[in-house]
Amino acid sequence: MSNAILSLENLVKRFGDLEVLRDIDLEIEEGEVVALIGASGSGKSTLLRCINRLETPTSGRICFRGTEITGANVNQIRREIGMVFQRFNLFPHLTALQNITLAPRKVLGLPAEQAEREAMELLGRVHLAAKAHNYPGELSGGQQQRVAIARALAFKPAVMLFDEPTSALDPELVGEVLETIRDLAQEGGTMLVATHEMQFAREVAHRVLFLHAGEIHEQGTPQEVFGNPKEERTREFLARVLTR
Amino acid sequence: MRKQGIYAGFVLILMPFMAGCKPSQNALERVRQKGELVIITDPTYPPFEFNEGEKLIGFDVDLAREIGKELGVRVHFIVSDWDGVLPSLHIGKADIAMSGVTITEERKQMGYVYSRPYFLSGQTIARRKGDTRIRQLEDLKDKKAAVQGGTTGESALQRAGVPDDHILRFKTLPEALLSTRAEKSDSDGTVADVPALKYFLLKDFPDLELVGNVPVKENLAVVTWKDAPELRDAINKALGKIMADGRYARIYEHWIKEPATPEMMAELDRVRDAGISGASVERPSLASLLRKALPQLLSGAKLTLFLTFTALLFGIPVGLGISLLRISHFPPFRILAMVYVEVVRGTPLLIQIFIIYFVLPRLHLQFSSLASGVLALSLNSAAYIAEIFRAGIQSIDIGQMEAARALGMDYPTAMRWVILPQTLRRVLPPLTNEAVALLKDSSLVSVVALEELMRKGQILVTNTGEPTPIYLAVALLYLAMTLPLTFLVRRLEAAWQPITREKGRKRNV
Repeated sequence: MSNAILSLENLVKRFGDLEVLRDIDLEIEEGEVVALIGASGSGKSTLLRCINRLETPTSGRICFRGTEITGANVNQIRREIGMVFQRFNLFPHLTALQNITLAPRKVLGLPAEQAEREAMELLGRVHLAAKAHNYPGELSGGQQQRVAIARALAFKPAVMLFDEPTSALDPELVGEVLETIRDLAQEGGTMLVATHEMQFAREVAHRVLFLHAGEIHEQGTPQEVFGNPKEERTREFLARVLTR
Repeated sequence: MRKQGIYAGFVLILMPFMAGCKPSQNALERVRQKGELVIITDPTYPPFEFNEGEKLIGFDVDLAREIGKELGVRVHFIVSDWDGVLPSLHIGKADIAMSGVTITEERKQMGYVYSRPYFLSGQTIARRKGDTRIRQLEDLKDKKAAVQGGTTGESALQRAGVPDDHILRFKTLPEALLSTRAEKSDSDGTVADVPALKYFLLKDFPDLELVGNVPVKENLAVVTWKDAPELRDAINKALGKIMADGRYARIYEHWIKEPATPEMMAELDRVRDAGISGASVERPSLASLLRKALPQLLSGAKLTLFLTFTALLFGIPVGLGISLLRISHFPPFRILAMVYVEVVRGTPLLIQIFIIYFVLPRLHLQFSSLASGVLALSLNSAAYIAEIFRAGIQSIDIGQMEAARALGMDYPTAMRWVILPQTLRRVLPPLTNEAVALLKDSSLVSVVALEELMRKGQILVTNTGEPTPIYLAVALLYLAMTLPLTFLVRRLEAAWQPITREKGRKRNV
């Protein structure tokens, strides 16, 4: 409990009568990579969106480094918790570089020069330094998602949330994005990744969570969950996605 | 065959514009054949012609009915603004005008033909009670004088040497009188016909009074166009009979509330030839007409541009502010903005102008003509612009706001740096539409005596009797202002296109 960087207790989220998350309890250790798998509508996105407060939980507690953040200043928390979206959500009127420097400059008041230097380093990490002055519309989907990852890293967040980062990509572009995430994982980043890429989850994740109907139905190491799933529903889900 | 068909269609369309190109049958025969005398009038001029409920009544109306009886035809009144009354004769929309029209040499020279005078009138001044600074027309030289534009009140002021920019030209007499009232005090006196002023002061303006004397004597007569001398002669004959057999005296007493004295009747008979045209003067050439008209139209266009741009200058930021309130998460703001937008969009701009100029003074809020015009146009366009911005903001993908918020930006920062820059590009086309609409709608402020392009045109038409070249010139000037605007925005739009891999590729679909 003490060295959990992020912990959720009895987290519930309802949209009207629809209970999307039921009593979620979860602890994530520093440096841990957790893969969230499950069918569409199982609550993966909502769980991630509750953690960085794009959705307000109906009840329950979220603690970051042992302090409850449910009622805290959201803008401060969000600097600690980076988020990458399925549809990239890059700002189309700004270049790749400006997409990354905007928040540090407007939120922290960083001088332009420093913000740009740091942004160029981040673009280097995702191998896109050459595209710094291109607009999102001029980049491929894979390149856009890598810029979006660099953008989320600008505040050096302690935790990164990935909401199905490759689902909107053409199949041939998935590899480069997964490669970027794998690199981050190997550098010791703490991350929570909602994904449909089972191979990736098996290789990169330390722990796999199977979400079903708003509950954590089964969890364990990739070997346990993929190799020897205990629950019937997990077996069904895996059979469906792995035979495809 | 086909060519001729097209030619015939062309002529049909042009017919109303082709003054003087009328069938050979004379005007009197035409009226007799129709069995109907069409009379144009501006029904805001009691006691001569005004509406009581739905009914048009007044001195002129009763007199016209008697003239109709004499000619053996029905009388049919059609109504128009004062500015449209005389030009209607010229283009053949009406046979005669009876609208308290004064005989003037200028109008004779324009080609209008008068009957014998049927009323002895004159111009005088209505001032605020006890305002003894104003005794005669010359006293208004260094003050503001209100008139109904294009009337002989206006020419009387000009002859007395009152500078043009000291004359407020309203569309109707009651509006001119409202501007003289103490609570408005936009003008210091209203100049108009004695009987009309008497009627209004007695009924609606107890706070105004007439100056003692009648500075200008005038005669009122029936008007026709120069191609209808037979009709004029028939009307003269009818008038002579109506005056002689006592019908005139009855109508006079009924409407003027004074007996028709033998002296007055003798005077009416003495001036019987006042309407006859002097030596016929050549109509001015098109070139000299335009030379006279163009400087005035250009000064009107300048005011139109000024009104439009100041209204946009206020309307865009205010509209943006309202749109932000409209999408706010705080319900009172949202409701406030919604009420504003719905009230402004749901009422005519004309009413808003009237309220600002004529009604707000009751609450001790005074705005000059120009300030009222600018204020009304700004507040009105702000409502439309607010809706344009709201639609623009809501059309931006929700993911943009989420990404910005997820990066730690607060709502205003995200709005300012992420949402609004994208919105601006998107709302440029509807915003241009609004600017063009505003430029055209700005003509409505003429009701508070602002002489923008459209109003200048109307005044020129009344004063020259030449609707065709003047209105065409007005239309061309409007185009000359709107076309560069749309062109400029199209260039901006192209420059601001979001950059995509498809840039430069022609759109084929």
